[in-house]
Amino acid sequence: MLKGKKLKLPDRLGSLVAGFEDKDEDSGGSGSVSELGEELEILQPTGFRSDRESETDDDHDHNEVQEEEPMVKRKMKVDAELEHNGRQLRHEKDGLSHISVIKTIEVDEKRSDIEYEISQKEINLEKLQRIASTGIPEGGNLRATVWKLILGYLPPSRDLWEKELSENRKKYAKLKEELLLTPSELARMKEEAFQSHKHNNAHNDTAGPLIRHEISHEDHPLSLGKASVWHQYFEHTEIAEQIDRDLQRTHPEMKFFSGESSFGRKHRESMRNVLLLFSKLNPAIRYVQGMNEVLAPLYYVFSTDTDEKNASNAEADSFSCFVLLLSDSVDHFCQQLDNSSVGILSTLSRLSDLLKANDEELWRHLEFTSKVKPQYYGFRWITLLLTQEFNLQSILRIWDSLISSPFGIQEMLLRVCCAMLLCVKSRLLSGDFAANLKLLQHYPEINIEHLLQVAQDLTPDTS
Amino acid sequence: MAHRVDHEYDYLFKIVLIGDSGVGKSNILSRFTRNEFCLESKSTIGVEFATRTLQVEGKTVKAQIWDTAGQERYRAITSAYYRGAVGALLVYDITKRQTFDNVQRWLRELREHADSNIVVMMAGNKSDLNHLRAVSEVDGHGLAEKEGLSFLETSALEATNIEKAFQTILTEIYHIMCKKALAAQEAAATTKLPGQGTTINVADASGNTKKGCCST
Repeated sequence: MLKGKKLKLPDRLGSLVAGFEDKDEDSGGSGSVSELGEELEILQPTGFRSDRESETDDDHDHNEVQEEEPMVKRKMKVDAELEHNGRQLRHEKDGLSHISVIKTIEVDEKRSDIEYEISQKEINLEKLQRIASTGIPEGGNLRATVWKLILGYLPPSRDLWEKELSENRKKYAKLKEELLLTPSELARMKEEAFQSHKHNNAHNDTAGPLIRHEISHEDHPLSLGKASVWHQYFEHTEIAEQIDRDLQRTHPEMKFFSGESSFGRKHRESMRNVLLLFSKLNPAIRYVQGMNEVLAPLYYVFSTDTDEKNASNAEADSFSCFVLLLSDSVDHFCQQLDNSSVGILSTLSRLSDLLKANDEELWRHLEFTSKVKPQYYGFRWITLLLTQEFNLQSILRIWDSLISSPFGIQEMLLRVCCAMLLCVKSRLLSGDFAANLKLLQHYPEINIEHLLQVAQDLTPDTS
Repeated sequence: MAHRVDHEYDYLFKIVLIGDSGVGKSNILSRFTRNEFCLESKSTIGVEFATRTLQVEGKTVKAQIWDTAGQERYRAITSAYYRGAVGALLVYDITKRQTFDNVQRWLRELREHADSNIVVMMAGNKSDLNHLRAVSEVDGHGLAEKEGLSFLETSALEATNIEKAFQTILTEIYHIMCKKALAAQEAAATTKLPGQGTTINVADASGNTKKGCCST
C-alpha cells in the first residue's frame, strides 16, 4: 500500500521522500527512545489503565508536559502521565459517570498501545494502522508521529528517524530557497556568488565602475515572452494572492489559522510557502482553491506537536506529508483529467455505485427522484477530503481513519461519504431537490464514531 | 428553467452568481437568502445552493440561486450549473480593479455556457469600502451600458442594494417570461399549456432570437 503510494509520486517531489538506507542517529534521542519502549512495556498490563476518568485528561497532559520542560522528551511525557494518573486516581472519588470512565480507559488503553507500537525499533505498520484507524488519542505528539509513519514520511525503523527528518528538512529549505525567491533576489544572489568567485580569482579592481547586471533580453521584467522568469514570477504572484485570500478563510473560526496575532500570521506564512512551493513544483495543477483546507489539518497537527523541534519544522514536514497524502488523489484537482479514469467525475460515479450497492432505495431517490447529482455535493467532499464539512476536531478523527485505513485513503473516503448519505437517509428520502441539496451542502452535526462505523461496515461495490 | 408549479410558488427561477474569487458572492447570497453576513466565510468550492421565495408583481417567485467558485478550475464542472439559468448576477469588487477588468472574461463565459437570453446584472460589491475604491461608479455604469447590462453598486455587509439587485433581475425575468408565454400561447393553439417541468424560453428584451428553446 505505502510502497504503491510512493511510486506514484512525481519525481521531483519523490526526491523529498527519503530512502530508508541510512542507519545512525545522533544526539541523545535514541537513549530516551529505548527507555521509553521499556517503560511502556511495563505500563502495558491492565492494572495501570483504570486510573483515568475523562477525556479532558488530554489537555492536562499537554499542559503538564509543557510546564515541566520545554524540550520535551517522550520519556518525560510518560513520567508526567504517571504522576498525573496518581493525581487523577484521587479525583476519581469525586464520582464521574461510569460510562466516561470506561471511555477513558479505552482511550488510555489505546494511547499506551500506540505508544508501545511506535516505541519499537522496527515499527509494525499494519498493527499501528489497525489501532490508529479507531482514532488516535489527543494530546502529546501521538497523532503527528503516527500520521507521519503511516503516510510514509517517517521510516518504520526508529533509528533512521532523526537522519531522515533532518535530510528532508534540509531539502525543503533548499527548494524554498531555489523556488520562492523573486527573480531579482535570485539575480542578486547569483551576482554575489559571481563577485565572490571573481574576488577569489584575484585581479579585480574594486574601485572601478559599478558592474551592470547581465540580464538577457528574455528575462527583462518588461519582456512579454512566456519563458521569461519575470513572466513566471508575475504569474505566481497571482497564485500567491489567491492563496493568501484562501488562507484568510481557512477555519475562520480558529485563531490558529485566521487570527491577526503574530502566531496566526506565522502559520499563514508557513502554509503559504507550502502551497506556493507545491504549485511551482506541479505546474500542471498549480494551486487550486481548497488545497488550503487539505493542508490545514496536517499543518495543525504537526505544529502542535509537543516536541518543539518537530513543531518548529511543521512547515517542511507538512509539505512532504501533503504531497504524500495527495499522491493518489491529486488528479481530482486537475481540470484536464475531469473525464479520465483518475479524474473527479470517475470517482464521483464510484461513490454513486457504492451507494447503489449498499442502499438502492436511497440511491434511486437521489439520482432519479430528487435528482441531486453527486457533483453538487460529493465534488467538495472528495476533493477536499471532507475538510469543509466538519469542525477541525472531527476532521482529525475522520482523517485518523482515512490515513490508516487498510482499504486506502481514497476507498475509505468514499465509504465515509457513502455513510454520510446513509446517516441522513430518512431526511433525504422525504426531501426534494432543494431540501436535499441544502442538507448535503451543510451537513448536520453527527456522531463521528457512528459515522465511521457505518463506513467501515459497508459492502464494497463489486460491480 | 422557469417552471410553473402549483401550491408553494408560481414560478421557479434559477440564477447564478459569478465573478472573481473574493469579491463577496457568497456573502451576497447569504445576505439575500438568510439576511446574514459573515466576514469570515470559507472559500466556495464547486457550487453552493440556496433559495428564497419572494413576491414579484403579485406572483410568488422562488429564486434558486447557485453560488459558484471563482477559480477557473471549478468552472469546467460549473458549466453544468449554468444550464437552465435564466438570470446571472456578475459581481466585481469596487476595491480591486482586476476583478472589474475580468468582467469581460465572465461575460464571455456566460456567452459560451449559458442561454443567450439570460438576464445579466452587474454588481460592484463592497460599496461600504468607499475609501479603498479602485473602480469609480461612472466606470461601472459605462461598462454596463456598453454591454447592455443592468448595474448597481452593492454592499453585502451593509445590506445595500442586495434586495434591489435580485428584485430587478427577477422582475425583468418575469416580464420577459410573461411576454414569451403570451406569444407562445398565441402562436401555437395546438401546444399544451406549460406544465411542471416545461421549460419556457426567456426572450431577450433586445429581440435577440437567434437561439431556440433552452430546454434541458
